[in-house]
Amino acid sequence: MMNILTPRPNPIVAALYTLRDLDVDVAVLHGPSGCGFRAARLLEEDGMKVVTTSMSEEDLIFGASDKLIEVLKEIDELFSPKTIGVVGSCVSMIIGENVKKAIIDSGLKDKAFFVEIHGCMGANTRGAIETLKAAMDFGLIDENEFQRQEKMLLLATEVESNSGMAKSKYTRPSRGADLRTVAEYIVNLLKDKKKIAVVLNAKKETAYLFADIPLAINLASKKYGGSIINVCNLSKIVGLSRIKRYAGDIINNYDSNGITIDYISGGLDEYPIAGKNAIEYLKDKDFDLLVAVGIPQALPILNKESIAVTNGPREVHPLEDAGYKYVTVEIASHSTVMGIRDIVLSELGEVIRDVAGIQ
Amino acid sequence: MKQIAIYGKGGIGKSSISSNLSVNLASEGYEVLLIGCDPKSDSTINLFGGRRIDTVLDLYKKGITDPNKLIFDGYKGVKGVEVGGPAAGVGCAGRGILVALKTLNKDYYLEKGFDIVIYDVPGDVVCGGFAGPAREGYADEVYIVTSGEYLSIYAANNIVKGLFNLNVKMGGIIGNMRNIVNEEQKIESYAKEIGSQLITAVERNSKIHESEIEGKTVLEKYPNDPLNLKFKEIGNKILENKKSKVPNPTTDEKIRSILGGLY
Ligand SMILES: Nc1ncnc2c1ncn2[C@@H]1O[C@H](COP(=O)(O)OP(=O)(O)O)[C@@H](O)[C@H]1O
Ligand code: SF4
Ligand SMILES: [Mg+2]
Repeated sequence: MMNILTPRPNPIVAALYTLRDLDVDVAVLHGPSGCGFRAARLLEEDGMKVVTTSMSEEDLIFGASDKLIEVLKEIDELFSPKTIGVVGSCVSMIIGENVKKAIIDSGLKDKAFFVEIHGCMGANTRGAIETLKAAMDFGLIDENEFQRQEKMLLLATEVESNSGMAKSKYTRPSRGADLRTVAEYIVNLLKDKKKIAVVLNAKKETAYLFADIPLAINLASKKYGGSIINVCNLSKIVGLSRIKRYAGDIINNYDSNGITIDYISGGLDEYPIAGKNAIEYLKDKDFDLLVAVGIPQALPILNKESIAVTNGPREVHPLEDAGYKYVTVEIASHSTVMGIRDIVLSELGEVIRDVAGIQ
Repeated sequence: MKQIAIYGKGGIGKSSISSNLSVNLASEGYEVLLIGCDPKSDSTINLFGGRRIDTVLDLYKKGITDPNKLIFDGYKGVKGVEVGGPAAGVGCAGRGILVALKTLNKDYYLEKGFDIVIYDVPGDVVCGGFAGPAREGYADEVYIVTSGEYLSIYAANNIVKGLFNLNVKMGGIIGNMRNIVNEEQKIESYAKEIGSQLITAVERNSKIHESEIEGKTVLEKYPNDPLNLKFKEIGNKILENKKSKVPNPTTDEKIRSILGGLY
């Protein structure tokens, strides 16, 4: 297997995000104080508490089960959580900490469950799958839901290695195409009464940001004409309640702006198959431009003029190589969507509004 | 000044040899520092009348890291240190050794003018941490304790593999007898096979464990026993040894054929 040099999403962060999706109240990282720092901060803004056991050199040598028990009792008192997820780090797992026993000894086995991952090692999707499995064993989700999500995650790994940044040894980051150039291109097509297919293929909460781009294009079309085919992975019937709630929030916004969705391609955690569904739906339709936003790398390539909007500077080159005319990046996608219930302004959406003279 | 590390299969006699060697060299006027690196913390026990000294890692846990407080005065003025480590089955003893060595601060103890520093290291080289005392800046050379038994030599050869990989010099083999046929010859043939030498062989002698029961070295319990001369001989050979070099590990088949040929 190729040794990929580019730093990549990791299992511990995936586990934390999955715990958040499951509406777990507190995540305990059994690791050093800096473990998962960036993600932990973001997730706290989204309402889940994230703490560490602050493992030190000494704990690494002597073991830190007592410390974990202590921390579990402390957070139980401090936050009165309904559910607690304990996540392994590289440090605690290398020394073989017996986390399950610590949970039992803390007296909190009815509230807390252990996600057995080894920190930053391995594919991020493994972190998500292990979390879901632990949640299933703990009784938070049923087996069908587990199997559906597991399938999605494995497909997501495939997308990443076939068309994402796990495709090559080192992927240079890029800010992508100039936003104004892209916005003008889109608005001019609408002025020429052309037809644009807009595919929202977003992952979970990032939809709150990416949904702004279809919104801006639809608003521009209302002003200048042209027509839009709206395809969105905003199913309100698949997935965890939290994820369905995101979809509902966005559809409410679209409704209030008079936007009709032509085709629902799947749920917000189904981006690996929703992309395929979207292209399947569009392949016989007639249109002049495809705009794919969210996880465009999950869309099969159509022989059509296309624009991609992604969340990762390191997805830009692979998408350009795949044949997209323009690729733009929404840099702040992860940080701006925490703790919100409505669409937030995107960078490209803002420039489209500006070019179109709407506000 | 010489720094050496003693490796070998568990229970083969590393600690007995290290401690008896230490007190005998001290009785000749040498300044000796014995650093026990086994989490069991039993290398220096016979220098302190059977008392277990506080370990570096236990003190570290209490926030005590001043090297002066980690080193204890033992029998005949031998300075003793125990690295210590986690209880069996938890934590990471290998990491413990690395942290303890760093805490001990070799720059500090090397300035103290010791003639010899001995690291008594557990078992086979089990992870990077246990190889710590053999790394650059620590032991100048490694000595392996073995009997003529197959498993003991097999373990020795695994250690030799480690030394070869880490490019660490080996001073020689110290035989510790289990009274099997042609034992000394077997050990010597193996030593030659890996490009090393047999320093000397210590006979099996109940005075070693009789002394141990009282928490003593042989020198303390039986000061006039000739066994002490053996330990002095080992010590002096080590101090004078100029023939250390990186050994070449051999194969399991070769070990079996050497041992098999000597029955
Ligand atoms: N030459 C010997 N004759 C008799 N008993 C010995 C001899 N060498 C070691 N022993 C005994 O064998 C046991 C294990 O020795 P020890 O030095 O603790 O081994 P190690 O440090 O290699 O694990 C001890 O009880 C010790 O007294
Ligand atoms: S799992 Fe290990 S490497 Fe990853 S963030 Fe935590 S401490 Fe760092
Ligand atoms: Mg020992």
